[in-house]
Amino acid sequence: MRCGPPRLLGFYVIIVSAFLVAPIAIAVVLSFSSVEQLLFPPPGLSLKWYLAAWNNDKFLSGFGVSTTIAAISSVIAGVAGTLAAVALNNFRFRGRAAMRALIVVPLVVPTIVIGLGLLQGFSKVGVGPGILAASLGHAVIGIPYVTYLVLAAMSNYDLRLDDASVTLGASRVGTFFRVTLPLIRSGVIAGVAFAFLMSFDQVSISLFLTRGDPLPLRLMQHIQYNADPSVAAVSAVLIVASLAVMLVAGHTLQQHDVGNLRRAR
Amino acid sequence: MPTSRMLRRATPWLMLAPSLLVLVPFFVLPIAIMFRNSLARDNPATGMLMPEITVANYARILGDWFYAQIFLNSLAASFGVALLTLLIGYPFAYYLARWAGRRWLPVLMWVVYMPILVSVITRVFGWIVITADSGILNGLLLGAGILREPVRILFDISGMTIGMVHRYLPLMILPLANSIAKIDPRVLAASTSLGASGRDTFLRVVLPLSLPGVVAGFQLVTAVVLSDYVLPTLMGSTRFRILAPAVFDEAIGSVRWALAASLAMVMLAIVAVTMVALNLAMRRLAPWARGL
Repeated sequence: MRCGPPRLLGFYVIIVSAFLVAPIAIAVVLSFSSVEQLLFPPPGLSLKWYLAAWNNDKFLSGFGVSTTIAAISSVIAGVAGTLAAVALNNFRFRGRAAMRALIVVPLVVPTIVIGLGLLQGFSKVGVGPGILAASLGHAVIGIPYVTYLVLAAMSNYDLRLDDASVTLGASRVGTFFRVTLPLIRSGVIAGVAFAFLMSFDQVSISLFLTRGDPLPLRLMQHIQYNADPSVAAVSAVLIVASLAVMLVAGHTLQQHDVGNLRRAR
Repeated sequence: MPTSRMLRRATPWLMLAPSLLVLVPFFVLPIAIMFRNSLARDNPATGMLMPEITVANYARILGDWFYAQIFLNSLAASFGVALLTLLIGYPFAYYLARWAGRRWLPVLMWVVYMPILVSVITRVFGWIVITADSGILNGLLLGAGILREPVRILFDISGMTIGMVHRYLPLMILPLANSIAKIDPRVLAASTSLGASGRDTFLRVVLPLSLPGVVAGFQLVTAVVLSDYVLPTLMGSTRFRILAPAVFDEAIGSVRWALAASLAMVMLAIVAVTMVALNLAMRRLAPWARGL
């Protein structure tokens, strides 16, 4: 066998990487532009689009709405998904396969279908669009992510640790909080962070369950009527924020996947 | 003791209760209600639903060329984008799984993960700057003398396709890389030492063994393209209508809930049939592998 990658393949990987990164990098550069037109490279540099974005009430209130929805839904998804993952991993019981399927299915059902269904369902019981409705809708797709990431973190979990704890006199509940949870912490944090970011960027469900006030919908409306670099300024702030979230929480996630690839080799 | 045994039996269900309390009322039930609504009739005068049972909505959306066109466009978009991401992503995933060394693997993993974590609006904004009539791409092509006048990319099928391929390429690369990484290198060595050329080894060993990743990636991408609202709205053309914006327009714009519900149910059916068909195809082609 050859002992190095073909040079052509390496070149190809660089091109595809550039394709993946380019629009994001260009958006960041343009947020520092001095003019309203979307010129690249920008003729001059300024911070005025950051100021414009900060002074845009719709962006600011949208940020608040999105953060609230993402926080509520990721906490719900975190609690429900973690408990579900532990149940699916540690117990063998009748109906386990069906429960597993139920938890994964929201990932493959088109989100626009979930959104329309929830709108029609909520209207039956008189709940209108708003933060509560949107948070519950986002929790539906947050649960599979959390469950999946916690299950991944438990892939080499030693069940005898739980047994040892119980044998030594701890209650089942105490065992969960003092043995199981600390051991799967990285998966839980990664799952909640992922659910938070997914909710923050959710459009299809929010379309039906809010009054157009979360940040992604505000940004969409803004792009449709006047595409100026203030959207890029918001984007740049969001990129820094989501990178921060991922550096705090997602470090474990990346390590895990890289580790998986290595081990599988 | 029977009580402790009962408690042990109840434990997993107690732990699953929070998920059930979210997923049953806010996922299963709404879809059931929507199915019921798809069999009702819209009252155009009041915007309310008439509580009767009829298949008129289905007859209408499956018989009317206006809607048939939307279904065909959506199918073409989702299979086209899935195929493009597969062709573009496979060599990348192969490199990621087999060649990327200690130094480059983390970098490339970030390159793949970053687009998932960055807001879709940010990515669309970047693509608008690149693909607009006066954008970077047209500027380069005009400057190099390849074009005489700007070619329309943004607000056309091509712009939407570029945006979608960019958005969903990571979803294809990750399962592909996983399944390629699982192939035992000794199998490849065996194939080579038995006299197979590099091309034969790839076509007859690597490709079949990575089929589970191909199918998983294909299933994921076709499903998410179907429910994409942002890219058709911000980068696509109104002449190429596809499902997600159409469902939204019928439900919110025209307040035809029954019709929108029937469109959503057919969409659900398309996704389900695609999933099952791909799983069956894989079972035929690669009986040793397991589906999603």
